[in-house]
Amino acid sequence: MVVNAESSTWVPLLPGLLRQEDDGSVTLLGSRCEGCGTTYFPAMKICVRCLSPERMLSAPLSRRGTVYTFSVVRQSLPEFPTPYVLAYVDLPEGVRVLSQLADVSPEAAHIGMEVELVGAITRKGDADQPEVLGFRFRCVTGKGS
Amino acid sequence: MSDQEQFVMAEQADRGGAPAVYVVGVGMTQFGKQPDRTPEDLGREAVWAALQDAAIDPRKIEAAYCGHVYQGMAVGQRVMAQVGLAGIPVTNVENVCSSGATAIHGGYLAIRAGECDVVLALGVECLTGRFRGALAPEEGDFEALQGMTMPSIYAMRARRHMETYGTTAEQLARVSVKNKRNASLNPYAQFKKAVTLEEVMASRPIAEPLKLMECSPVSDGAAAVVLMSERAVRALAARKPTRLAAVALLSGTYEPGLTDMAFEPLTWRTAQVAYARAGVGPEDIGFAEVHDCFSSAEVLRVEGLGLVPRGEYPRFVEAGHADIGGKLPINPSGGLLGKGHPLGATGVAQVVELVRQLRGEAGPRQIDGAKAGLAHCRGGKAAGIEGAACTIAILTA
Repeated sequence: MVVNAESSTWVPLLPGLLRQEDDGSVTLLGSRCEGCGTTYFPAMKICVRCLSPERMLSAPLSRRGTVYTFSVVRQSLPEFPTPYVLAYVDLPEGVRVLSQLADVSPEAAHIGMEVELVGAITRKGDADQPEVLGFRFRCVTGKGS
Repeated sequence: MSDQEQFVMAEQADRGGAPAVYVVGVGMTQFGKQPDRTPEDLGREAVWAALQDAAIDPRKIEAAYCGHVYQGMAVGQRVMAQVGLAGIPVTNVENVCSSGATAIHGGYLAIRAGECDVVLALGVECLTGRFRGALAPEEGDFEALQGMTMPSIYAMRARRHMETYGTTAEQLARVSVKNKRNASLNPYAQFKKAVTLEEVMASRPIAEPLKLMECSPVSDGAAAVVLMSERAVRALAARKPTRLAAVALLSGTYEPGLTDMAFEPLTWRTAQVAYARAGVGPEDIGFAEVHDCFSSAEVLRVEGLGLVPRGEYPRFVEAGHADIGGKLPINPSGGLLGKGHPLGATGVAQVVELVRQLRGEAGPRQIDGAKAGLAHCRGGKAAGIEGAACTIAILTA
């Protein structure tokens, strides 16, 4: 799941969704309204809360969050091998992000679990198309179940 | 309530002087797996049944609204051509699982606006040829790309309800037991047999804590209703008019931030509009058909409608109060869990059930003395949006 920092052939899961740091880690890129301070992920161009004409700024998001709720998915579309743990993760910026949890067994997942961001290749590259870089959250070391 | 919500409610409150609307004919096909039938064939059967029930000359229909999700271009016209109604204005509407109810909303608005006196609303969907398991979310949606499925959304909401209110997996499963028992009394329903709590609990996990028998099935079917203005009811001497006291349609707001997923603001907001338009409150509702796409969904709907206080519906079901014969029967038709869920047809079939109940024509699942019924539909999910469309109809005897 660790991203190869040397790789330059990836594309993000969605345009502008994240960036890769020099050490190979990834950062989620949201947007924050200069007017009311509301943070969005994925990023929005217009603040739909205050509709103010203030500028929306790019907002790198915290890497650590807390599981708000989750489900162990046992049946899904063919491109998503089951089972996997799907969760809404709350970040300190007041943003809730849907993500799969990496390296968390169905039995270990729980509400309130502290998790951290990790980059993940969600589609392998080949001769025709670059690999797709997405993300997961995993249990913060030493703070697991 | 926000300024914007107050504005919406002021705008949508009952307008004095607009014509009253009635449902004068209802019809539906068998719901279930019918891979050999086309949308034209199912739609024709439902429309013809509604016209026969209304006992009117089909040429009195001035306009038609057709709800569907996956039936391709101009399915409404394709159906109308089968029943001698080609040539009238036909509007096809897609609003995910609220498509059929949105078609009724269109007809309701046309009559309220004074533009039409007799309107047909139908919903049709053939799904078994397209999907085997979960329906695919919209490609390119962020949450869809993360592995979101509809069962997983309702599973995660269920887990918040459990965390917040102490709801148990067994209490959720009892919703399916109730609805499949009701379906066993409905000849149009997909599932013909009642199931036990143990059978639901032992069924295959789909998205924990939800199990297979807590998920609505893939279905084919169609349903149709004939709507009339009060003037047309008198002029055409409609035999069995049922008052369509209100139809409300709202969309989910884009909510950044950390909202309570154990509650549905969209259902609550839409309900306030519907109650205001109908001039009734939740205490006046005698029974309801609600959008139970999953067992946990019924909990969120009934609490969002204000029919039962927040957090209390699972125990309400456990006590039998939501049964036919209980204090407040919910989904007497069997709901989506028991009757089936052909997306575009679902909202229309809910109104078919309300009319049959209010006329006293519901046979073994008849509710005694019901004077007002409510139909709730809700569909769709996209990143950031609580839900796409919510529709609520209130009918009175």
